[in-house]
Amino acid sequence: MSFLHYKDIIEEGDLVMAFISRNDIKPVIAKSGATLNTRYGVFPHDLMIGARYGEQIASAKGYGFIHLLQPTPELWTLSLPHRTQIVYTFDSSYVVQRLRVLPGSRVIEAGTGSGSFSHAFARTIHSNGRLFSYEFHRPRYEEAKGEFEIHKLDNITLTHRDVCTNGFKVDGVDVDGDAVFLDLPAPWEAIKHLDEVVAKDRRVSICCFSPCIEQVVKTIEALTANKWNGIEMVEVSGRKWEAHREMVRDVDEAVARLKDIKKRAAAGLARKRKLNKISDEVDNEDADIQPDEDNDISSEEPSGKSETEPNLKSDQKSNQDTKDRGYNPFGKGKRIREGDPAYKWINVTRSEPEVKSHTSYLTFAYRNQ
Amino acid sequence: MPGRNIIEEGKHVLVRLPSEAVKVILLKGDSYISLGKFGTFSVTGVLGYKYGQSFEILENKLVRPVYSLIDDTKPLLPEDSNTFSENNQNLINTGSLVQKLSTQDIEELKKQGKGEDIINQIIAGHDSFGKKTQYSQEKYLKRKQEKFLRRFTIEYLGGSEMLQYYRSKDPQRVLDMSSESMGLILSYANIRPGGNYIVVDDTGGVLLYAMLERMENKGSILVAHENEHPNLIALKYSNYPQELLEKMVSNVNWLQFLEADTQRPQWKDYPQEKIDSFTPSRRSHYLRKKRASERVNHILDTVEQGSFDGLIYASTIYPSTLISKILDTVGGSRPVVIYSPFKEILSETFHVLQNDHRILAPSIYETRVRQYQTIIGRIHPLMTAKGGGGYVLHATRVIPKEGGVTAVGRGIKSKRLKVIDPKADTRQLLKQ
Repeated sequence: MSFLHYKDIIEEGDLVMAFISRNDIKPVIAKSGATLNTRYGVFPHDLMIGARYGEQIASAKGYGFIHLLQPTPELWTLSLPHRTQIVYTFDSSYVVQRLRVLPGSRVIEAGTGSGSFSHAFARTIHSNGRLFSYEFHRPRYEEAKGEFEIHKLDNITLTHRDVCTNGFKVDGVDVDGDAVFLDLPAPWEAIKHLDEVVAKDRRVSICCFSPCIEQVVKTIEALTANKWNGIEMVEVSGRKWEAHREMVRDVDEAVARLKDIKKRAAAGLARKRKLNKISDEVDNEDADIQPDEDNDISSEEPSGKSETEPNLKSDQKSNQDTKDRGYNPFGKGKRIREGDPAYKWINVTRSEPEVKSHTSYLTFAYRNQ
Repeated sequence: MPGRNIIEEGKHVLVRLPSEAVKVILLKGDSYISLGKFGTFSVTGVLGYKYGQSFEILENKLVRPVYSLIDDTKPLLPEDSNTFSENNQNLINTGSLVQKLSTQDIEELKKQGKGEDIINQIIAGHDSFGKKTQYSQEKYLKRKQEKFLRRFTIEYLGGSEMLQYYRSKDPQRVLDMSSESMGLILSYANIRPGGNYIVVDDTGGVLLYAMLERMENKGSILVAHENEHPNLIALKYSNYPQELLEKMVSNVNWLQFLEADTQRPQWKDYPQEKIDSFTPSRRSHYLRKKRASERVNHILDTVEQGSFDGLIYASTIYPSTLISKILDTVGGSRPVVIYSPFKEILSETFHVLQNDHRILAPSIYETRVRQYQTIIGRIHPLMTAKGGGGYVLHATRVIPKEGGVTAVGRGIKSKRLKVIDPKADTRQLLKQ
């Protein structure tokens, strides 16, 4: 039961989350003789069996690597096969905290969907708790059932049922739920069926998860009509940040560079005129134009660094890199690695390019009757 | 779950007031609890009800159970029962002249009785109440309810409630941590029964308390701290028995932790005859010292074993320099979760961790909950909310391959040639 218990060494039959890259995490059941093919190489399962969870392993060819991670509900959420829109960790972690889901809790979840949240509930309620999960879509139910079995989540009771019409009762079991999570298109149709399955001897909390405000309105009406109180509606907005370094491009250096360019241009012009003069003298002896010395303002050095810096930085191989650009404080035209110690950097954070700006509204309520 | 269901004597509980203020109180039998302007009630009146029950204070310090603290779902004023204006065109601010009741009158009313009656009289005494718009009347009424309703709710004091209590008192004391950030920490840190965690907690033990709640008496937590003794002040409100806390929570200071070699207590047992000859007080002193040194040595053993199931860090000590010193004590594939009220601090730490091969895929998360008004027909986000809430960095401790491994990517060909044939590079150079 690796979602519920810690383990150190990978054995035959264990679930391993093969971390290939941030966006590519593959769940693998370690099986002697099998292989995992990735774009970073081929990884025989025999390399995994006997390895420690967390270990980095190289491919059969000796280069390219993956990390062998222990399954957690959060990793599973990133890797699972999507059958429906799933509940992500920002929402699920808040719901678990708000509904006070704890070891031993008896949770009602409808529908099961892709089973992402089921894993998080199962982890927290642990061995002595129970999750009653309901799914009305037959193929999704079958898939989730198989998944829970493989993941040895035996604290989940999965039922194939449309709770809106047939309610939550489970044969031979007193559901006695103390936390309810409804992720349904019409939670208001299911709320009236909750009376017969929620705990009577303690406070019961509920969260309805709906993307539209119209659904929220109907949900609030149904909750009020069914004696749920303390209604609160919130929205969770989560954001993931990456730390980066941004080059500090000081204006003084830009000015120095401009001066350098100007000086070099003037020098180039003078050289060109000199050349022209020589050829003119050959062609036509009348024309005799002197370059205007007074206009050459860049005779002073732009900065003490200008002579040495470009040489220090230009020990790179590509052709464009070696092209002399004069004073080049920001590495123009070079391929510069973020954080290159030859330049000045400031630490910054950058949001993901695309964010989940809305997942669903979360309507919470309690029942004390 | 016994203890979390029914309001019992001798427990610390959270009291929620209509003004949204919260208090932590100890329910001592036969005592009275004062809620300031909301009144005083007798503890015996609330015992035996389920946690989450709301009460109204009656005369003689008695209470009666009520359905809820404030009903947030319907308008406070029935649609047709009142006169109101379409707009505020005729509403003129005349200051205190608008209210016929004086402060003394209101004080007198408060002594007499029910909050609803006071509110009704205040409205009756309000000259231009009818000139307000319906929305404005609602707001006015809600403000008066928050002030005069003599109601309160008793809630179980869990991790979230403890956090809310401290955050409302002084956000800095809990590093401005929001409940949603706490939820995220507990999920990413994979806190569950049976775990053996190391925590650096500068929230006065609030985070530790929330972790204990998710562990249900199983597992252990080592608290690493910067002073001689850890500051776990919040645990004074916990309803856990002292023995359980002693069994599950141990602590170590950074000197002992980072310089274990020199800080181990050296203990030698005295011969039994000598112990027998001690006076009783000397003997108990001797045994106490023996136990203490055994405990410290045991803690340092677990530190050296390096197999914690997670590192949870919410400290004002700069994490960028500390984390790499304690990473070796975290087991493979176990989470490292760092909380800070400042994204900048986590950004620094991110860079350090990114260059550490013992760490995989660090990410910084920000989670914010936005609350809405739930009156049907007038649903909108609340106009004000608490700022801050903090940031959470999550990464996974991994075990890098010894001797390193070449990544597949840019430059793989030349790197491979280097590995397979040392002369390859020269050949390539000659070709150019």
